[in-house]
Amino acid sequence: MVTYIFRRLVTAALILLGASYFVYLLTAASGDPLEEFRANPTPQKQQLMDARTELLQLDTPAPLRYFKWFGGAVQCLVPFANSCDLGKNIAGQPITDALGNALVQTLTLVTAATVLAILIGITLGIITALRQYSTLDYGVTFMAFLFFSLPIFWVAVLLKEFGAIGFNNFLRNPEVPLPVALGIGVVVGAVTAVALGGPMRRRLLAGAVVFAFVAAVLIYFSATEWFKTPGLGPVLIAIAGVGIAFAVTLLSAGLKNRKALQSALIAVGVGVVLYFLLQPLLNEATFLMIVVLSVAFVLIGAGIGYLVGGYDRGQSMRAAGITSFLVGVLILLDRYMQAWPTYFNNSRVRGRPIATIGASTPNIEGDFWVLGLDSFTHLILPTLALILISLASYTRFTRASMLEIMNMDYIRTARAKGLSERTVIMRHAFRNALIPIATIVAFDIGALIGGAVITETVFSVRGMGFLFLDGIAHVDPNPVMGVFICVAITAMVFNLIADLAYSALDPRVRVKA
Amino acid sequence: MRLGRISKAVGVAAAAAIALSACAGNSGGTTPTTAAAASKQGGSATVVEVNAFNTFNPNTADGNTDINSKVSYATHSGFFYIDNKLNVVRNEKFGKMEKVSDDPLTVKYTINDGVKWSDGTPVTAADLVLQWAAFSGYYNDADAEGKTGTSYFSYAGDPTGIALTDFPELGDDGRSMTLKYSKPFADWEIAIGGPGIDIPAHVLAKKAGLADTKAFIDLLKGMPRGDSKAPKPANAQLKAMADLWNTGFDTKTLPADPSLYLSNGPFLVKSINQDQSLTMVKNKDYNWGPEANLDEITVRYIGEAPAQVQALKNGEADIIAPQASADTVEQLKALESQGVTVDVGNQLAYDHIDLNYSGPFADKNVREAFMKAVPRADIVDKIVKKLDPKAAPLDSQLFVPDQAPYAESAKNNGSSAYQGVDIEGAKKLLNGATPEVRIMYNKDNPNRVDAFSLISESATKAGFKIVDGGLGKSDWGKALGDGSYDATIFGWSNSGVGVSGVPQIFKSGNDSNFNQFSDPAADKLMDELIVTTDKSKQDGLVAQIDKMIWDSAYGLPLFQSVGVDAYSDRITGVKYMPNQTGVWWNFWEWAQK
Amino acid sequence: MAEDEASRISAAAGIEPVLEAKGLSQGQIVRKRFLGHSGAIIGLVVFSFIFILAFTSVGYLGIPGWWKYTHEEVSPLVNGGAPTSSLWPLAWGEHPFGQDRIGRDVFAMTMRGAQQSITIMIVIGLIAGLIGVVVGAISGYFRGWSEAILMRLTDVIIIIPALLLAAVMAQLAGRRDQGSWFASFASTNGVLALGIFLGLISWVALARLMRGEFLSLREREFVDAARISGASNARIIFKHILPNAVGVLIVNVTLTMSAAILTETALSYLGVGVKAPDTSLGLLISQNQQAFATRPWLFWFPGMFIVLICLSINFIGDGLRDAFDPRQKKFNAKKAKDHGDPAVQAGAGTGLDASAPKDPRDDGPADGTRGQ
Repeated sequence: MVTYIFRRLVTAALILLGASYFVYLLTAASGDPLEEFRANPTPQKQQLMDARTELLQLDTPAPLRYFKWFGGAVQCLVPFANSCDLGKNIAGQPITDALGNALVQTLTLVTAATVLAILIGITLGIITALRQYSTLDYGVTFMAFLFFSLPIFWVAVLLKEFGAIGFNNFLRNPEVPLPVALGIGVVVGAVTAVALGGPMRRRLLAGAVVFAFVAAVLIYFSATEWFKTPGLGPVLIAIAGVGIAFAVTLLSAGLKNRKALQSALIAVGVGVVLYFLLQPLLNEATFLMIVVLSVAFVLIGAGIGYLVGGYDRGQSMRAAGITSFLVGVLILLDRYMQAWPTYFNNSRVRGRPIATIGASTPNIEGDFWVLGLDSFTHLILPTLALILISLASYTRFTRASMLEIMNMDYIRTARAKGLSERTVIMRHAFRNALIPIATIVAFDIGALIGGAVITETVFSVRGMGFLFLDGIAHVDPNPVMGVFICVAITAMVFNLIADLAYSALDPRVRVKA
Repeated sequence: MRLGRISKAVGVAAAAAIALSACAGNSGGTTPTTAAAASKQGGSATVVEVNAFNTFNPNTADGNTDINSKVSYATHSGFFYIDNKLNVVRNEKFGKMEKVSDDPLTVKYTINDGVKWSDGTPVTAADLVLQWAAFSGYYNDADAEGKTGTSYFSYAGDPTGIALTDFPELGDDGRSMTLKYSKPFADWEIAIGGPGIDIPAHVLAKKAGLADTKAFIDLLKGMPRGDSKAPKPANAQLKAMADLWNTGFDTKTLPADPSLYLSNGPFLVKSINQDQSLTMVKNKDYNWGPEANLDEITVRYIGEAPAQVQALKNGEADIIAPQASADTVEQLKALESQGVTVDVGNQLAYDHIDLNYSGPFADKNVREAFMKAVPRADIVDKIVKKLDPKAAPLDSQLFVPDQAPYAESAKNNGSSAYQGVDIEGAKKLLNGATPEVRIMYNKDNPNRVDAFSLISESATKAGFKIVDGGLGKSDWGKALGDGSYDATIFGWSNSGVGVSGVPQIFKSGNDSNFNQFSDPAADKLMDELIVTTDKSKQDGLVAQIDKMIWDSAYGLPLFQSVGVDAYSDRITGVKYMPNQTGVWWNFWEWAQK
Repeated sequence: MAEDEASRISAAAGIEPVLEAKGLSQGQIVRKRFLGHSGAIIGLVVFSFIFILAFTSVGYLGIPGWWKYTHEEVSPLVNGGAPTSSLWPLAWGEHPFGQDRIGRDVFAMTMRGAQQSITIMIVIGLIAGLIGVVVGAISGYFRGWSEAILMRLTDVIIIIPALLLAAVMAQLAGRRDQGSWFASFASTNGVLALGIFLGLISWVALARLMRGEFLSLREREFVDAARISGASNARIIFKHILPNAVGVLIVNVTLTMSAAILTETALSYLGVGVKAPDTSLGLLISQNQQAFATRPWLFWFPGMFIVLICLSINFIGDGLRDAFDPRQKKFNAKKAKDHGDPAVQAGAGTGLDASAPKDPRDDGPADGTRGQ
């Protein structure tokens, strides 16, 4: 194993060396950095050209200049030496600074989008695989391909028009007229009826229930101006928590495991109690505190599961742990919603929260919650755009993988020995279907660091993609190399991780040491 | 917009001011309209700009983008500013600028007591001397190729006028300076001292190792005028200061050293969020000029016009001035129902196609043939008629229709030969040749893209092989004059409208003479022009130069640009301004409702 | 008799009647399955329609088309440039898709754009397919040094950003002083050059996939049989292994092609793809972004064509994937469970090993770690 990893790392380093040399030469060959001065009639011409030549060391031919650059770049490997030198860009800014700024911008933009796209994509993929060739399957396939086919800048313009401007206008007077509420209810109900499997009567019934529920909720929200002062409150958290407890138990342990259900429900109860206890603490929240709290919630849940025990203590702990964590998320959500009016009426937000550009409101001041909401309102549209276009590959891939697994002999065996469908799908099929997905997820994470060039452009975010594009446009090799190195290293590391995970997850695959 | 140089804008404005005021019978120099008493004090506004801020010195060759000039305008004050009627408005609260004598032309500048930088240091004559030294290029002794001698300050503007002066005479109180011109200079009023005195001499002096501003003045006083024929070794201290002036103020973030962003105007820069936004707050000390209503102005950068319109629509921006296009104006007009105010007006800029005096266009016949093939009427119909129903092709390189001499000059300058498309005539001139012509333009400006398409379509019929040399918005400006194209479509912000602007673009070897037009006779007339203070004589000279330019088949003016700005119902006091300062010209009158 | 039995059983188990059991050839099975995939058929019809429309309407390679305008021709504005076509009464009019503001016919421009986008797509598909097969076959079949070298090569290429290559190409094509054969070729055939360049970098995923296929197929009995009977390596590769891998190949080539259209769109948007005055669908919509709200036809028609082409190619690919994969049948877990297990026998595959996941980006562990 160690030999294998070592060998892979050495190969990766060699590949990186070769590829970076190639990229350096390509960038250098893509134009003349002095072009803008060449026919400049000012007396400063020579001076300016000399300065640029010195800045970019143009007097050394590119094949050799690479090694100068490499000499600086290699120092980045020395830990804590703080001697990392990736050169400077044309404006004289050190690349390490520019990269730092851009990396933060890009990561804030793409992280949530990627995680959500993976989660939603895998879920949809599994559902469509289980209902292959149903209306739902066709519907999801069509939508996934449709979004995949849409150019992202187009999606972005539409999202800004309706998601930001339209929604903000709605928020000014958040009343849902009765016909609209009913209309939305009908649509959601119809989608549910279509999506649900089973006999027509059951579908219609479910559709009707959903219709009534959605319409009622919308009318209630409209009447109480919920959109202006949203919140969940302990009652809703308790109700939703019970739902979560049942769902989590259903998926992780099966409802027949009464002990697991019991511990999950206890976890919900404890969560509701904690809701009241935590409120004062949350007013002083910091990021670290949220992390600690979420770990605490998981531990509390697991502890409850341990105490309740049952014939399968592990299952109870898992069910209660997950439930407890999700209840914690609800409490967090509720606290964010409590901060919403403050944010909404902030003098810099002025009642139009959803933003069309940038990553934050300039000069906004506020506590943890207000700043969090500010990031949320700025990131929601680019995140949505990114999710929509990247959903297709995850959905389709999971579906294919799941279908293949469902036809495997061991699934048949599992069914034959009388396991419940839940156990077959969750324990046997789902896990194995995820194995190949690990590979593409790893690849995507690697590519993500490179930034979403077009999304960044449309939403005026100056991240890695922008840095890269700008470097190319100005024949400036240093930023291009900086971005390239970051992307290549992440891609390779994640590729290695994917292969290791592959061999760990799939017993048929063995690492050749 | 690289052409947004303060000096140019000022030059334009001044000349236009003279021209327009002559027509209107209005003698310039009206006192500033004191901000309406009704305007609410306090509040904030968000203004959208296209480019990202990158330097606190907007006078350098690299720093003269419009955004840097605008930030500088809001944070510095001077002896005058230009209003939207293009009058030069004196700011007597800042100081006095008076013409002491006409022959020789002598101007005395006196800064009022109490005017100070935001670090508390008074604004003194030393600051004026620094500006004079930078703008005049007095100490430069580099030759044209830059092989010998030193070029100190890399000033982007035109030094011709101010170069006529010798080292100024300084008053004993340290607050006054007297400039004596060796020849009369038409634009003396706006040559120096405004709209902003932007670089503090005491900071430069300190950083160059000089004791104080007195040492600074002594150093400059002791140095003779630079002579490119007899270059001297560079003066280390002046060089250090010039280097600092040239690049030391470049920054993308708020410098740790506050002396690098001192203000002496209504606002001071509070924070810069790299490549995202810049925030200015009111300068509490400021009382030497029009005082601002707003407490805070935030500048955000959005490149694309649709994104700007959407940001305005969504309330993230209060004031925008996107590139005008029929689509943008129509979209903005649709927002009027939401309380958005849209101002459409003419700009002191026009789009034109220039032909290089080299490559395939070295032959005058080829240039003429090409000009015959340019469908000017069609371009105007399709590009600006939707914005301005009265639009017509521009028939002069130097006048705009608002100016009285325009009609006369247009009649005589030879533009009548290029009224319609004459494919046959062009073919005859080409005589069977099919020259390959590379046309450079800003690909991100739809007007230029469409003008290119129309010209390309028509010129291809005449036998030209058109190569698309369009570049992105960040690159086209840099490519101007670099010889990588044969013809270029772009806009001048002032070309020919002001007398200082004339030599800048049309004089042999000058900075902005991108197509290398060179006519000794015209050069001579231009030398004469800039020392002529008599308006009618100026017009006569300009008309003569106009004809020479047309006669040499320089290229064609296409149409006057249309500008648009729009602001939300939160803000009042925004007024349309035709020149480069744009809506910023009266930022102190902006108020929040 | 056995045949009927099999299909009856499988139908009962919630699986569509198993066609291969009727003794059809693989080609016939694939065709039948493909034709049974309604999404794929609709995709095929739509794509054929667009293909024919685009290539006959405005002409191609100098052959004039039946439409009265070309994409560069400027004509007087009719109806202020708005589309003249209407649904009721059904009329085509002078400019069915409208005109841009200087009077070019949007229909002609869209058709030209579709031609260019389809050309790029096909060029990329062909080049990527060809190189991918050769590299994948050689490294998967011969293994050893050739595999090591070729796979390291793909590793290098896979991390080189397409944007950079496209930018370099755009720069080279745009540089007039160079005068090399490449510059002149690129400036006259910008679209083709772009397609070739993109093709030269998009074969990598395909090569890895083909290698995976070859790795598993070369161990199969029929390959051993061929080898023993004295077949040459070339014969084994082309006659025995490749036909068995053709499903994976075709499916992934179609997916590469649909991704290629979007890549072209993105590159044109970023200014390094197709350049005006030539046009492509991507260039058209990025040029007309501003008209989005005021003259929507400039934006919607080209956009609609991008989506239609991409969607139909994806559906065709999806249909092919299902058609070539014997394991993917109409499978209903619920029914299968209800009916017990007899579906099993029917599920045993044809000769095609489909264990490799069918996604262009998946290539399994890169280093031969997939043991058997």
